[in-house]
Amino acid sequence: MGENKSDVLQGTLDLMVLKTLELMEPLHGYGIARRIEQVSNNTLSLNQGTIYPALLRLQQRGWIKSEWGTSENNRRAKYYSLSRLGKKQIERETESWERIAATMARFLAPSP
Amino acid sequence: MDWLRIWFSRCLATFRRRKLDEELDEELLSHIELAIEDNLRKGMSKESARTSALRSFGGLIQVKEMYRVERDLPFVDAIAQDIRYAARQMKRAPGFAIVAVLTLALGIGANTAVFTLIHALMLTTLPVRSPGELVRLTMNLSVPATDGHDAPLNLPIIEAIQRHSHSLHGVLGWCVYDFPFRDGSLNSGLHGAIVSGDAFESLGVRPAVGRLLTPLDDQAGGGPDGLAAVISYRLWRERYRAGPSVVGHHIIVTDHDATIVGVAPAGFEGVITAEHPDIYLPLEFQAVLYGQAAKHEGGRLWLQTFARLSPGVKRAQAGAEMNTLLPAILDETVPSAMRHLPVIETARFEVKPARTGWSKLRLQYTGPLLMLQLMVATVLLICCANLSGLFLARASARRQEFAIRGAMGAGRFRLLHQLFVECLMLAIPGALLGVGFAWMTGPWIVHMLGNPQAEQAISMRPNLAVLSVTLGCAVLCALLFGMAPSWFASHTRIEAELRTLHPRTAVSGTRLRNFFVPFQLALSLTLVVVASLLGSTIQRLLTESSGYRTENVVFALTDFLRIPEKGDALVALYRRMAARIEQSPGVEQASVAALYPLMDSRWTEEFVAANNAGRVRPVEATGNVITAHYFSALGIPMLAGRDFQDDNSDTDTCIISQAAARLYFPGNSALNRTLRQIIHQMRTGVDTFRDCQIVGIVQDTKYDSLRESPPPIVYIPLRAEVNGFSNAGAALFFIIHGRSVEAEKSAYLKALHEVAPTSPEIPPFEFTQTFHDSVARERLLSVLSGFFALLGLLLSGIGIYGLVAWNVTRRTSEIGLRIALGARRVEVFSLVMSQVIGLMVAGILIGGTAAFFASRAIRSFLFEVRPADPLIFALSTLLLILIGLLAATLPARRAVSIDPMQALKTE
Repeated sequence: MGENKSDVLQGTLDLMVLKTLELMEPLHGYGIARRIEQVSNNTLSLNQGTIYPALLRLQQRGWIKSEWGTSENNRRAKYYSLSRLGKKQIERETESWERIAATMARFLAPSP
Repeated sequence: MDWLRIWFSRCLATFRRRKLDEELDEELLSHIELAIEDNLRKGMSKESARTSALRSFGGLIQVKEMYRVERDLPFVDAIAQDIRYAARQMKRAPGFAIVAVLTLALGIGANTAVFTLIHALMLTTLPVRSPGELVRLTMNLSVPATDGHDAPLNLPIIEAIQRHSHSLHGVLGWCVYDFPFRDGSLNSGLHGAIVSGDAFESLGVRPAVGRLLTPLDDQAGGGPDGLAAVISYRLWRERYRAGPSVVGHHIIVTDHDATIVGVAPAGFEGVITAEHPDIYLPLEFQAVLYGQAAKHEGGRLWLQTFARLSPGVKRAQAGAEMNTLLPAILDETVPSAMRHLPVIETARFEVKPARTGWSKLRLQYTGPLLMLQLMVATVLLICCANLSGLFLARASARRQEFAIRGAMGAGRFRLLHQLFVECLMLAIPGALLGVGFAWMTGPWIVHMLGNPQAEQAISMRPNLAVLSVTLGCAVLCALLFGMAPSWFASHTRIEAELRTLHPRTAVSGTRLRNFFVPFQLALSLTLVVVASLLGSTIQRLLTESSGYRTENVVFALTDFLRIPEKGDALVALYRRMAARIEQSPGVEQASVAALYPLMDSRWTEEFVAANNAGRVRPVEATGNVITAHYFSALGIPMLAGRDFQDDNSDTDTCIISQAAARLYFPGNSALNRTLRQIIHQMRTGVDTFRDCQIVGIVQDTKYDSLRESPPPIVYIPLRAEVNGFSNAGAALFFIIHGRSVEAEKSAYLKALHEVAPTSPEIPPFEFTQTFHDSVARERLLSVLSGFFALLGLLLSGIGIYGLVAWNVTRRTSEIGLRIALGARRVEVFSLVMSQVIGLMVAGILIGGTAAFFASRAIRSFLFEVRPADPLIFALSTLLLILIGLLAATLPARRAVSIDPMQALKTE
């Protein structure tokens, strides 16, 4: 495994999950974890297991819902999809994340 | 909102835990399988596909644990576990559990009972609209040499406040009344009130049926329904079976026709706490009974007054405004002759919060009840010390258990949690049982207030407020008595404990336990001293001579207001009736008086010896208006001179008590001298006087209460008009002495029917009852404090017993060894006892000091007992020592009888 992996920032995992689901719902936990790894080009040190407490939190907030289904290779798996509330939440989270990112960028930019 | 959603979902999950666990297992399994299949597709071997899948997943167990912690309420599980464990512990030692629960029940029950009474009398909010705005208005009148008292107001003042004040509105007057009441065949007395027409509107009370009183009902001559009456919800249900037809019903109240216009809402008992009004009439009723002048009189203060603060106004602001308005209001309302009396000049308005209403009982009982609450709190502390000691003993026996649990990974917090649950499992049943005790003893405690109205009105049923305080009490107790053992348990050193073979030899915790015994003894001694002081107070009050004979004496109030005889004829009627009563069989003397002894009402006049007039300032004495045979009926010896005559021949004469003789004629015989009564003429403002010749001197008696020493008393004969001055009122008392109370009562009623058949019948009452009720407060204090002191003593005894028994058990092998080595039994006994005696001495020293200060604090409740009475202190200490020694001797005897062989074998 690569040396330059960063830890997942607090709170960002939730947004990653939501964004993943927005694009390819419904999806099971393994699929979500794989997708996050792929998008991040394996630069994140993510234990796939930690996706499950995150899914629980999102479910408790009513942002995603789950349903048992059958996977591509005929295996019973739990599929997650966005709820109406979750869709709204994505906008809000994205906006706040962009604000933070922009602020961070200003700090990191070489001073004039 | 998010947190609400999360907790809701967590709560739901708690109930479906097993199902959710299975689902999680399945989900995670399918994750791993999917990963393995992916890996296989990438061309990995079966073995490495599996390893790689597990590695990238991370710790399976950790993920599950993290998931579960966030999914439901894990502490519920822990609590359930602790409860099951505690239940097992209790089953193993049921004796301990029973003692603990009973002890707590007594302690908490006593607290609940006293608090229920305090809550009912002082803390219950009135069921009216925005009670926080409600204030009580009084006029503080300070008579020189007294603290001043809060007097009620009257109608002109209320109207003036309504007109002038901006900070107050909805000013209402309220006066409690007893009404003779007739409805068809029903003829009885009703307790009620006359109130301002807008009282209900101002309070914001809605009728249950019909309408409530309005200002229209309060106008001169009555309102649209004539004399309107509102009845209580209770009366409506009990007498009228809750029928709606009650509206418009005609009744007779004090011989006047009235119409029921509506029913007050359930639970509304007026603004005077501990009252039980069943009927409300407008203030106009005062005019119906005594004329418009009486309703609007400015010289008498008789209406309890309440008002609302206007929006945004603070109580202090209202008070300031009222006192700025005061001179103008007094100018407007007080008769000119009284306006410049010193007492009026120094008067001030007081604006007090009335969220909880007001009661005269509060003046009398606030101090005593707070003191009792303090005493029961002390009892509860003793309880907790006891239980703490017991728990500590158990904790030390359970050290190994704690150590093992610690070794298996139980955190300190988890152990504390467990112990706290165990304590709660004793405290909660104890509290419930205590509430039961309080409920059962409640009526008896209220009865001791010696106030029939309060007895009916005060509900001792524990309500939500009381229950929550009790529950809080229980949790606090659990914390208190659980604290010591918990502290102890959490400091268990695991490896040291597990290495020790014999848990009994562990000694830490002993010092802490030793602290409890002196602590308990000190508190008990304080309680016993306080109770003894209060006990001897009531004993002195009841046994010290009051100067009166109380046995076989009855009093009866007459209501001759509506009989045609006035003046001479009225006096003649009284005399005729007294003579008629005296002729009845079983009656020896009958007399008429304006006041009966210990009536709790004072009539004072200024007198001066006529020959000293002008040289000596007139001095106040208490007075009474009587007819012949007053002294013989009450057993007051005539020391010199004669009694009043049976006829009207005594006009300008008087009889005085010894104390009055000493006061006005020091060093001389007072008989046949002339006493001058100073009369302040209200109308003209000029003082006049009246001279009377002293024809008799009687022995001293107490006057309106048993607490004071006999005051100077001047007795004036009952007479019709003399010099434009009559003292023959329509409401005087008959005082009757004879062979039996029953004979006297029936003689009075027979004479009343014969002489004044139209007058309402008011039941006579016994002097012994009056006598005992006049010390109701002291009786309540002494009985309850005595009971609490006994409870404290009992608990301390149990505490000492427990400590000694524990010590003997702990040291069984040591004692066995000593006996085996030749120690004599006496030595063993004194070995065990010496430790206890040391603790007792410490407790008594601390307790003596505490009791010294406590007895000073309750000084105002005492009567003819010095706070630091050495005899009481000595006897209380002796009692405590006796109980302590008794409690210690029982287990100490067991130590003596230890069989050395047995003791050493069990080692």
